[in-house]
Amino acid sequence: MIAHKNQTLVRARINGEEVAFFCEPRQTLLEVLRDTLGLTGVKEGCGNGNCGACNVIMDGVLVNSCLVLAVEAEGRSITTVEGLAGPDGLHPLQQSFLEHAALQCGVCTPGFLVAAKALLDHNPHPTEHEVRYWLAGNLCRCTGYDKIVRAVLDAAEKMTA
Amino acid sequence: MPEYQYIGKPARRVDALEKVLGTAKYIADRKLPGMLHARCLRSEVPHARIVKLDVTPALAVPGVRGVITSEDFFEHGLYGFPVKDKYMLAYQKVRYVGEAIAAVAADTPEAALAGVQAIICELEPLPGVFDMEHALDADAPQVGPDRPDGEHPNFLDKLIVRKGDPLAVWEQSPIKLEERYTVGPQEHAYIEPEGVLAVPTPEGGVVVYAPNQSPFINHGNLALVLNLPHNLVRVIQPPVGGSFGGKDDIIYESSAQVARLALITGKPVRMVFSREESLIVSYKRDAMRMHIWLAADPDGTLRACKFDGLLDSGAYASESSFTAWRASIHAMGAYRYDACHVDITAVYTNNGYCGAFRGFGNTEVCMAIEQAIDEMAYKVGMDPIDFRLKNCLRLGDETVHGQRLTESVGLAECLMAVRRLSDWDRKRAEYTRRDVACNVSTTNDIRRGIGVAALYHGTSLGAEGQDYANATIAIEQDNSIDITSGLTDYGTGSRTVFTLIAAEELGVRPERIHMQRPDTDTAIESGPTVASRSTMLGGNAMRIAAMNLRQTLDYAAADLLGCELHQLIRHGEAYVGPAEEPVPWERVVAHAREMGLALSAHGKWTAPRINWDHHAGRGTPYMAYHFAAQVAEVEVDMGTGNVQVIGFWAAHDLGKMIFPQGAYGQLYGGIAQGLGYALMEQITFVNGYIQETNFESYLIPTAVDVPEIVGTFIEAPFSHGPYGAKNIAEPAMVPTAPAILNAIYHATGRRVRDLPANLERVLLGHDLAKGGSPRACKLGLHIA
Repeated sequence: MIAHKNQTLVRARINGEEVAFFCEPRQTLLEVLRDTLGLTGVKEGCGNGNCGACNVIMDGVLVNSCLVLAVEAEGRSITTVEGLAGPDGLHPLQQSFLEHAALQCGVCTPGFLVAAKALLDHNPHPTEHEVRYWLAGNLCRCTGYDKIVRAVLDAAEKMTA
Repeated sequence: MPEYQYIGKPARRVDALEKVLGTAKYIADRKLPGMLHARCLRSEVPHARIVKLDVTPALAVPGVRGVITSEDFFEHGLYGFPVKDKYMLAYQKVRYVGEAIAAVAADTPEAALAGVQAIICELEPLPGVFDMEHALDADAPQVGPDRPDGEHPNFLDKLIVRKGDPLAVWEQSPIKLEERYTVGPQEHAYIEPEGVLAVPTPEGGVVVYAPNQSPFINHGNLALVLNLPHNLVRVIQPPVGGSFGGKDDIIYESSAQVARLALITGKPVRMVFSREESLIVSYKRDAMRMHIWLAADPDGTLRACKFDGLLDSGAYASESSFTAWRASIHAMGAYRYDACHVDITAVYTNNGYCGAFRGFGNTEVCMAIEQAIDEMAYKVGMDPIDFRLKNCLRLGDETVHGQRLTESVGLAECLMAVRRLSDWDRKRAEYTRRDVACNVSTTNDIRRGIGVAALYHGTSLGAEGQDYANATIAIEQDNSIDITSGLTDYGTGSRTVFTLIAAEELGVRPERIHMQRPDTDTAIESGPTVASRSTMLGGNAMRIAAMNLRQTLDYAAADLLGCELHQLIRHGEAYVGPAEEPVPWERVVAHAREMGLALSAHGKWTAPRINWDHHAGRGTPYMAYHFAAQVAEVEVDMGTGNVQVIGFWAAHDLGKMIFPQGAYGQLYGGIAQGLGYALMEQITFVNGYIQETNFESYLIPTAVDVPEIVGTFIEAPFSHGPYGAKNIAEPAMVPTAPAILNAIYHATGRRVRDLPANLERVLLGHDLAKGGSPRACKLGLHIA
C-alpha cells in the first residue's frame, strides 16, 4: 500500500474495472464508492449495517459497505448495482424487478438487487423461505416485500431455465 | 363496465428503469461544483430559553462560509399550517430535543460540524411537559403559543362528533363495554433520510431541490420566510426515497435553512441527515390515549358509541389539528349507531413533535374501535364477521355525522370476501377449540388465532379545505407528449397513474408520454399531495386536460377526413372516418398544427363542496369513503410472547383500480407498515429524549416478518372519481393492527390494548420497566 500524509492508495477491481483511489484510513467503502468514485447507486440508509441499502459484493461475499473500511478493498473485486447490467442489457434480476414492479420509492432497490444476486450466485434454486431469510438484512418500507420476493424467485427460474 | 385500453391493465412503472439501474438521483446523490455542506446546531434539552446565541466564532472556523439563525428569516421564520407556531430556526425558546437553533454551511461536512461546535449557545432549561394527561394542568409549563382566547396554552384543538346521547343509551343498555386503549408514536422510517439542496440564481432567487410531498407548500413557505416574490423561488422534486406523510414540515424547515445559506454564500448548499438525525429530529405519528364506551342489544345490534381521545402533538402543531379531525370522524368505525359522541383533544408537550403519517388519525382510532367492536362481538356471543356484517354501513345508510351514503359502499362485500379467502369459518372453529389440535408444535406451546378488522376512510381532504388539482398536457414537435401535475409521486406510483389516464383519454400508447418531475415553475399548484388524493383529484384533472386536447385532435381529424365528429372512430392510435382508411395519429397532429390549433391543454378539477359544522359536530365530512376488511392469522408462542403473522387477507373497495401493480404495491406496503405498528414499532420518549435512534432499536418489519398477503379489490365505483376510482394508499395500513391484535386475542385469550404488542405485553400483559436515558439521543446528534 502507498500512503501519503493521511491518504492511502487503494487498488481494487470494481464492476470489472481496475480502479485506484486515495482514501483516508477512517473512510468507509460506502463513502468512497459514493463520494470518490461517483457510484451513487450504492445508498446510505442507516450507516450502521441495519438496512442493507449499501450492499455490495466483495470477493463473492455480500457486505454492507458502510461497515467495510475503504482500505479493506485493496486487491478485492467489488460489484455494485452499477455493475449488474451488461453490454447485452439488464441483468435478469433487474428485468424481473421491472416486470414485477418490485419497487416503489427505489432507495432500497440497489441493495435488494445486489443481495439477490449474491443469493443466486450461491444458490440458483432458492425456496421462498430461503429468499425471505436471505433478504431479511434489507429493509424496504414501501412494498411489503411481496413483489420483491416474487421477482427474485421468477428471475431464479428464468436464469436456470 | 366500459372496456378500457390502459386503465386497470398491467403496466410498467414509469420510474422503474432508472431505479433498477441505480441511476436515479436522490438528493444525497447530487453534487454540484462549489457545493457547500450544511449542518444544524440542535437542542440537546427538551425545553429551554435561548439565553445567548453567538455564531461569530463559527465564522472563524476554516472552511465555514455562512451561519444563520432565526434573525436571518422574515418574522424569525415563523411558519405552519393550519397553526403558525414553528420557526425555521428556533426563536427565543427550544421545545424539543433536536430542534434546530442555527445552521452552518461549509466547504466540507467536517468543517460544518466544527462550525456547529464553535457556536456559543447558552440554554436555560425550563421544566417540560412529558405526559399528555398533564398537559392541561393549571400549573403545567407553557409549551404552546400564547392563547389570547383564554384557552390553556398547551391546548391545541378539540374536535367533536355529535349524535344523540350515547351515555344515556349506554347506562340503560343490557350489554355494555368500557375500555381504554393507547398507541405510541410511530416513525415513518423512509429508507432515504432527509436531504435538501439549494442553488442561488443570478436573479437573486433560489432553486430548491427537495424530496417534499408538497412542493407548492414549500414554495409558499420559502417565499414567505425569505421575503422573496413567489416567482423568484422554485422548488423541484427529485426522486423521493419514501415519505408516508413524513416529508413535509421537516423538509420545509431544512429547505428554508439551505435556501438562506445559499443566498448568503452565493453557492449551492446541501444538507443530508444521518439516520440518527432523522429519527431524533423528524416528526412522528402522534401518540393517543383512547377511552371507548359501546352499547349493544342482546341480538347484536350496536346502539351507542362514546369515544374520548387525547392526542399528543408534541412541541408543535404541524398537522395535528387535521389529524385530530380525521380521527374524530372515523373514531366510531364504519357502523350504524343510534347515538354517538366523539371528543378528540390535541395538546402540546415536549415529546418531539408529531405530524402527518399514513392514515392520519384513522390508523390510531381504528386500532382502538376495531378491538372494541371485536370485544363486543364476544360479549354478545357472535362471530366477529357476522357482528360486523350486522352493523356495518351499507348503501343508503346515514352515518352518525348525518351523511347519507348514496353510492360506492363496498364494506359488506369486503367482509364476505376476506371470510371466503381466508377460510375464516373453518379456522375460526378449529382454533377456538383449545385442545391438542390447535397446538401446532410438539415442544412449545404455540397457538393459532385468526382476527378481522373493518375500515372506512374518507377520500381526499374532505371538509379540511378546498379540494382541487391541476394538470397540463402538451404535444412536442416530435409528437412525444409531456404531462405535468401539481401532485407528486414519492414512490406511490402516481406518475404512472397519470400517464395511464392521459394515454386512455388521448388514445395513445403510454410510451409516448413523459410525466415530468414536479417543478413549481412548470406545474400548476394543486393543493398538497396528502390524504391519498392523487388518483382521484390529480387523476380527474389529468383526465380533463387530456380530454381537452383530444377534442382539438378530434376536430383536426374530422377536418382532415372530411367528416363529422360523431363519424370518427379510433383503431388503436389511428383515426378512422367514413372512408374506413385508418389515418395515423401523427398525421392528425400534423394537420392540427397546419390548422394553427393549440396542441397543449390544461385541466382543473374541483371536488364537490361539502360542509362540516365544527361546533355542532355534524355534516358531510367526506365526499366518499374507501371501505375495507382485513384478516390476520397468527401463531403466538406462549413461552416467549412472540407473534408470527402466518397469513393475511385483505379486501379493499377502492372504487376502480387504475394501475394494478401500483395498487397492490400500496396494499402490501401498507399492510407491512401496519404489521410493524402492531407488533414492533415503538418510539419511546423518556423525559423528552427519544430512545430509538437507528434501526437496531427502532425495528421495522423485514421480509421474514411479513407473510404472503392475499389482496383483492372490490370495485364499487364512485361517480366523481376518474373511471370510478377512490383511493388506496392510506387505507391499506389502517385496519392491519387491529386485525392482528384480534387474532392474538383469539389465539391467547389475552387483549393487548396498548401498541405495540411486543413480547412482554403479549406474555405478561404489561411493560417491563426499562427506564431510559438521554445518552443515545445526545450521541445521535453528534454523528459525523
